[in-house]
Amino acid sequence: MTNKVFRGLFVCAVLGALLFRIVRLDVRPMHHDEANQAVKFGDLLERGEYRFDPNDHHGPSLYYLTLPVARVAGERTLAELSETTLRLVPALFGAGLLLLFLLLAGGLSREASLAAASLAAVSPAMTYYSRFYIQETLLVFFLAGLIAAGWKYARTRSGWWALAAGVSTGLMYATKETSVILFAGLAAALGLVFLMDNPRARRGEGAGAAGNARGGRNAPAKLRTALHATLFLAAGAMTALLFFTSFFQNPHGLADSVRAIGASFNRAGHPGFHAHPWYYYFQTLAYSKTAGGPVWSEAFLLFLAAAGGIAAFEHDAGKDGSPRFVRFVLFFTVMTAAVYSLVPYKTPWNILPFYLGLVLLAGNGVGLLLRISRFRLIKILILAALVPGFVNLTAQAYRANFTAPSDPSNPYVYAQTIPDFLKLVAAVEKIAAAAPEKKDLLIKVIAPPDETWPLPWYLRRYGRVGYWTSAETAGDPGDAAVVIASAANVEKVATALGDRYQQSFYGLRPEVVLALFVRRDLWDELLKSRPPISR
Amino acid sequence: MKKILGWISTAVLGLAFLAPTAPAQDQGKEVLKIQLPKPMFVGTPKNIRTPNLETITGKPRGPFMVPVGTVLLSAGKPVAASDKEPVIGEIAFVTDGKKSGEDGYYVEFGPMLQWVQIDLGKSQELHAIVAWHYHSQARVYRDVVVQVSDDKDFISGVTTVFNNDHDNTSGLGAGKDKEYIETFDGKLFDPKGVKARYVRLTSGGNTSNDMNHYVEVEVYGIPAK
Repeated sequence: MTNKVFRGLFVCAVLGALLFRIVRLDVRPMHHDEANQAVKFGDLLERGEYRFDPNDHHGPSLYYLTLPVARVAGERTLAELSETTLRLVPALFGAGLLLLFLLLAGGLSREASLAAASLAAVSPAMTYYSRFYIQETLLVFFLAGLIAAGWKYARTRSGWWALAAGVSTGLMYATKETSVILFAGLAAALGLVFLMDNPRARRGEGAGAAGNARGGRNAPAKLRTALHATLFLAAGAMTALLFFTSFFQNPHGLADSVRAIGASFNRAGHPGFHAHPWYYYFQTLAYSKTAGGPVWSEAFLLFLAAAGGIAAFEHDAGKDGSPRFVRFVLFFTVMTAAVYSLVPYKTPWNILPFYLGLVLLAGNGVGLLLRISRFRLIKILILAALVPGFVNLTAQAYRANFTAPSDPSNPYVYAQTIPDFLKLVAAVEKIAAAAPEKKDLLIKVIAPPDETWPLPWYLRRYGRVGYWTSAETAGDPGDAAVVIASAANVEKVATALGDRYQQSFYGLRPEVVLALFVRRDLWDELLKSRPPISR
Repeated sequence: MKKILGWISTAVLGLAFLAPTAPAQDQGKEVLKIQLPKPMFVGTPKNIRTPNLETITGKPRGPFMVPVGTVLLSAGKPVAASDKEPVIGEIAFVTDGKKSGEDGYYVEFGPMLQWVQIDLGKSQELHAIVAWHYHSQARVYRDVVVQVSDDKDFISGVTTVFNNDHDNTSGLGAGKDKEYIETFDGKLFDPKGVKARYVRLTSGGNTSNDMNHYVEVEVYGIPAK
């Protein structure tokens, strides 16, 4: 493949990735978790306030990296923020991930890098969570950054790459405390590759006589390596320190980050309703179908990844490819997938860190298939055979992101707000428009926290909104123009309000409905201004 | 007289003097700003993909009294529907006597307003209509209107038994009845002994999607002799 062709195709992959990630970012209603993150970011945006919470919300990098995007968009307050601005952050990192694959030259062959980039561009899992305002896509980006910088350092021994690797490590930690699992996976994979490639080390020899004999000659190199290691660690620690201490405003932040690891492990051991069987992630990727819904499967990518994994034990990884690097990716992927699968706490976006490994291996799998024969015609036939699989992935990515982004039959959808909820938001907007107080009308939300979000995001532009977790604590609901109650509170609220309020139900998530109570005079006012509320 | 005029002038002047002080007192006030409770942050909520036959809220329906001799009239009776080609299932599911919430027991009609209509064969005294739209998931069906008539086209002699279409989306008139969450209990409508041959149930989508579903509809009454 010529440079020109490679560059052209790679640019196409990046453009495709951007297209899938940044178009119609507001098509899916805000998820509970996204709204949490958005409101938390609002404090940082409006007042510069951020304090790391060791019990929830993960690391601070997402919020700080959203700041420049919000500034460029000209949004200065939570009320001004839009879903598009927020989701643009993971979307850009999701597309930027492909560029990091270029740094893997020498580790992956050109064909493998290009195939990996193309698969990442249209991957249903990667595209879906790149449009999700949570930490996972950033974590994957920084993980790829660490692998790429580490690989570059291994090849060049440049201090700059040690520095880049350190910053990536710090950013991974500042993104999600569970990155420690990935650090362990990376270290273990490195160790395994070293053991495989150094038989004497495998037998427990090597550190003795030969090492001593070389010691004198390699002293400057060892010193340089030690310096680079220090640089790597210092850069990582400083990056984490900056973010977790809110740029030195919260001195306890770094210690809290260590506490957060404990909280995460505790959550992993007590998963509650997020407990899923060990095969959950692979089942999600391999085959998913619900009654009446279409088949979802990334089996094509898994097949290519398996081929790429087998190829890791070849002596040849193609032109510009390194079997050692591929083995490293394979070991990392297998080990982290095993750990993530064994942890009972599972949410589908946790697929992403080891999914990155699957994508790189799948790219290598394509490289292997293209090396089967040196005849161009056969290569073309193999590529042609791969096209339907690639098209199928693309079609699934389109369906996942644009036609069924909130549909529970979509395996990437998890506890997602359903579109019906937006009808409640629209109804409140119309009522506020009809009310004399406009957006300062009093709204009481009476619902437990897990049935409240994403209301705080959608009601962010209203001046007087209060949140109570039960009808008992909310006082007299009759002083509010609008009351929104969870199903468990409906009976008590309805009894208290009587016929003075019009009651109607709206869906929040599957199985979860919210009741909207509107003061009768406002409701009648609204009916006068027909056409009726679009439901 | 001069004295009276003097008093009046003094009073008017006094009022004129006092008048500006009233808004001045208001200017010294401000709206009491009450800090309302903020939302509590909480982690990812439960993801639900599996059917749940448990009722989420409300109490079990108490006993419903009907005249002695009331029997199920609708079992196996012919059903018509506004959507002739259901998306899932068959129109006959509506009166087949199977009320399971699982897949394969419900009929799904298209979006927007749709109706099903049961032909009881002859006009009979009706005492209860029970409808199960879809009870494997807590959801609310919109614009539910239950009507009975002896006219199969529902043009004349129509009695509305239940109507929660509070903004008249259906065009059948705005109803005052409340929306309700579907449960395995079904929803009981009281026709209060009205005589009719046809029972028509209308709905306009639900809180989970825009489609319309029926697991079963049962009509109870005194059989015509």
